[in-house]
Amino acid sequence: MLDELLAIKDARISFGKGNAQVHALRGVSASFRRCTLSLVTGPSGSGKTTLLSLLGCLLSPDEGKVFVDGALVNSLSENEKTDLRRRKIGFVFQAFRLLHSLSAIDNVALGLEIRNGKQPDQIAAARDLLGQFGLAEKANHEPNDLSPGEKQRVAVARALAGNPSILLADEPTASLDAAAGKNICQILRNQVEQNGKTVVVVSHDPRWQEYADRTIVLGDGQIKQEEKVAYS
Amino acid sequence: MKLAWQNISHDRARFLTTVLGVSFAAFLMVFQGSLLAGFLQAASRFIDASDFDIWITARGVQAFEFGATVESRFRDLAAGVPGVTETGRACMAFSLYRKPSGKQQVVALVGADSNLGKDFPVPDHVERVEDQSPDSILYDASDRGAIEAATLPAAVEINGRRANIEREVQGYGGFLGVPSLFTSYRNAARYLGFGPDDGMYILVRVAKGYAVADVQQKLRERLPEVDVLTREEFAHKSRMYWVIKTGAGSAILTAAVLGFLIGLVVVSQTIYANTMENIEEYATLKALGASRTFVARIVLIQSLICAAAGSVLGLLTVVPAMKYARILIPWIHTPWYLPAMVVLASLAMCSLASVTSVRSALTVDPGRVFRA
Repeated sequence: MLDELLAIKDARISFGKGNAQVHALRGVSASFRRCTLSLVTGPSGSGKTTLLSLLGCLLSPDEGKVFVDGALVNSLSENEKTDLRRRKIGFVFQAFRLLHSLSAIDNVALGLEIRNGKQPDQIAAARDLLGQFGLAEKANHEPNDLSPGEKQRVAVARALAGNPSILLADEPTASLDAAAGKNICQILRNQVEQNGKTVVVVSHDPRWQEYADRTIVLGDGQIKQEEKVAYS
Repeated sequence: MKLAWQNISHDRARFLTTVLGVSFAAFLMVFQGSLLAGFLQAASRFIDASDFDIWITARGVQAFEFGATVESRFRDLAAGVPGVTETGRACMAFSLYRKPSGKQQVVALVGADSNLGKDFPVPDHVERVEDQSPDSILYDASDRGAIEAATLPAAVEINGRRANIEREVQGYGGFLGVPSLFTSYRNAARYLGFGPDDGMYILVRVAKGYAVADVQQKLRERLPEVDVLTREEFAHKSRMYWVIKTGAGSAILTAAVLGFLIGLVVVSQTIYANTMENIEEYATLKALGASRTFVARIVLIQSLICAAAGSVLGLLTVVPAMKYARILIPWIHTPWYLPAMVVLASLAMCSLASVTSVRSALTVDPGRVFRA
C-alpha cells in the first residue's frame, strides 16, 4: 500500500484564452500521506480550489500528473474518474450542497446509494452515521430546517457514507459560526485519528492550523510555503 | 426513485406549473385530435354507415355530399355481374325546406333504400311498414332548433312537395352548416326531381365466396362510364377530399398538427426548465460519484411522473370540455384510442424532452460544486 494516497506532480492549468487567460496553477507538486489532515490555504485566486478539484478528479491538468491511490488520473476517462470518486473520495462543500428536497437521513442514504447501489439497510446505516454526529433526532428534518452547523455535519455524514478513504473539504467552516466551525474541525480531525481517513481541507480559516498535520500555502498558483506541524 | 419524486414534489408550485403545462398540451391534443377524428368520421359517415361492399358513382365524384346523377340502368347492369348478390340506392342533394312556421331553409337531403344497413338513417328501416307515412322524414337531434318541429309529426315542405317530419335520430349531425334530413330513396328522388332514368349512388353487395376486388374489376369492365369504388376507397376518397381539398378540413388538420407541436414545445420547455432548476443538484450528484445512468434515470423518472400526472389531469378536464363542445360542434368525436394515444404521446414527449435536459444534466461540470 502506497504511503502517499494523493499526489500531484508539476501540475499546470489555466482557464480562459488570450488576455483573459488565468494561470490557476503553475507547476504545483505535492503529495498527501495516508491518515493525515492537510490544510491548503492562501489568498483568494491563489489556486486552492483548483488544486482540490484536481485531487478530486473533477478537473484534469493541462500539464503534469495527478495520482489517486496510485492511479494516474490523467489517463482515465470521465466515467472512470466518476468511478474513482465514487469509490475513494468524499466531498464537503462550503455551501453544504445538500439536496434540498431530501431529509437529512435521505441525503446520507443517497450518498450510500451512489456508492453501494440500493441496499435494504441503507436507511439504518444512514441513521447510524447521523447518530455519530449527534443528528439522530434531526434525521427527518429537511436541510432548510437545520442550522448551518447541522447542515455541514449532515454533509460530512454524506461524504463519509460508504466509507471513502479520502475526504476533500472546500472551506467547510466558512459559513459557520465559531462553535459550529470548531465542531467541524474536530469531526474531520477525528476522522483522521479514529478512522484513518486522509483529509485535505482548503480554507482561509486559521483555526484549521490547530488540527492540521501540515499546511500548504499557495500564492499566485504556486506553493509559497509548506509547513509540517505535529498535531497534538 | 425517491429523489425523483422528492425533487418534483418538494417545489409544489413548480410541479403544479409543469403538470399544468403537460395537461394543457394533453388537452390540446385530445381536443384537436377529436376535431380531426370527428371531421374525418363525419366526412365518410354515410358511406361507412352502409354495409354494402361497392359504391358506383358518377365519374369524378369526390365526396358523398357532392354526388352527380348516373343512369339508373347501371343498377340493372351491375346486378347482372357475377358475384353481385344485392344492389341498393342512395342520393344526397341540397334542397329547400319550408319549416312549419313557413320560413325557408336550405337542407341536405339524404335518401336511401332501406336495405343499406342498420346504421343508415332511413325511415323505412326502423318503422313497421304499416306505420310508415309515405313522406316520412327524419332529422338529427343536433338540428332540432333549425328544423323547428315543435310537435311530431310536423307537416313541412321539401322543394315545394309535402313531407312529414316523423322523428329524431342521433349521431348524424354534419359539418355542412345546414340541417340534414333523411328519407327513403323513393321520397328523396321525388323531392329532388329525379327522372325515371336518374340515380346517384348505386351500392353493390358482393356474394359470399367472391372477392370484392374481383367483382369491382368486373363492374369496372361492365360500367366504364362511372367510378366503381369499394366502400373503403370511397370513404377514404371522401375524407381526403374534405381534409385536404377544402379550406375547413385543411384548417382542422393544421390545427391538429399545430396542437401536437405546441404540446411538444410546451412539454419540452417545462421539462427542460424543471431540469435546469435542479442543475446544481445534478452537479453535486456527479461530484459525489453518481453514474450517468443514475442521473439520467432521475431526470427521466421526473419527466414521466410529470407526463403521467399532466396527461391524467388533461384528460379529466377534456371530458367536460368535450361535453360542452358537442353542443356547438355535434360531429366532434373522441375515438376510444385517442386518450390512450395522448397519454402515450405525452410520455413520449416528456421522455424526448428529458433527453434534451438529460444532456444538460450529464454534461454539467461537476467542478462547479466548489463555486459557492
